[in-house]
Amino acid sequence: MSKASIIKPDRQLGDKVGKTGGPTPEQAILRALNATENLSEAYQGWAVDDLQDLWRAFQESASDEGAEVRKMFNIAHEVRGQGGSFGFPLITSISDSLCKVLEPRTSLTRRDMEVIRIHILAMKAVFHQGLKGDSGNAGKVGHELPQLLAALRKRSGA
Amino acid sequence: MSNFDFSELKVLICDDSLQIRALIKQCLMAFGIQNIVDAMDAKTGFQELVDTDPDLVITDWEMPTGNGIDFVQHIRRSPDSPNPYVPIIMLTGYTELDRVKIARDNGVSSFLAKPVSAVSLYRRLVSLVEDQRLFVRSDSFFGPDRRFKVSETLEGPDRRV
Repeated sequence: MSKASIIKPDRQLGDKVGKTGGPTPEQAILRALNATENLSEAYQGWAVDDLQDLWRAFQESASDEGAEVRKMFNIAHEVRGQGGSFGFPLITSISDSLCKVLEPRTSLTRRDMEVIRIHILAMKAVFHQGLKGDSGNAGKVGHELPQLLAALRKRSGA
Repeated sequence: MSNFDFSELKVLICDDSLQIRALIKQCLMAFGIQNIVDAMDAKTGFQELVDTDPDLVITDWEMPTGNGIDFVQHIRRSPDSPNPYVPIIMLTGYTELDRVKIARDNGVSSFLAKPVSAVSLYRRLVSLVEDQRLFVRSDSFFGPDRRFKVSETLEGPDRRV
């Protein structure tokens, strides 16, 4: 059995952080939410590029299945992380569902293609309708969405 | 909770997504951190680490050239690393238990699941400030003591996907 040595680091993160003098946690978080509001607005523009890439990969998957399935998964996975980060939790829910459809697959049936197409169109609709956050109309949709997506995935056996 | 003063910290963010880098940077600045450097891949990230010797590294897992785990290993083990003990937050959309174990076994200090929120980032920062873990070095492992609060990365309101 190999020997393990225990080491106390010379520097700890806490050494450079005062326990007083900074903003309250509530102030710090509120400032962050305000500061990132403009990024949330800009995100819709960036996301258009991702959705265009996703749509292109979807269209090309009919002729070059394996590579495009992987490409679609990678884009959907990236979008899953970004949607909620920029105030669009519905985008994260839909892309999470799309990842579940794509992850186990190396090729796609016609039914899979239809399920994927609906996911992409749903994401486009979220941006088109401006369904941001988790209250109001976005909240209502978000409440029903998991069941709808699960039913949709069931159609392709995912 | 204390009114932490983070103003003296230097942070390195490594993520191939310009948007995610911008988001984290804006949040950290709102928390009072002014000294922030960023990189879009592991190679540039390591060079920034050598040049700036940050107090904290936040890195993505999946990057086109050199993934986050390779980057963490390099930080922990390279003789060129200015501080092999630097706290490292692994940012990832993958929160499966196997992935968490891989990250932990390679010396990651903490996990932050995407989607990222200001609340989850602040909480993770505070948990690392209060983290007094010792490091363990053996033939097969070098990193923060793995027996500490592993479940914290998997449960609770921060786990959103």
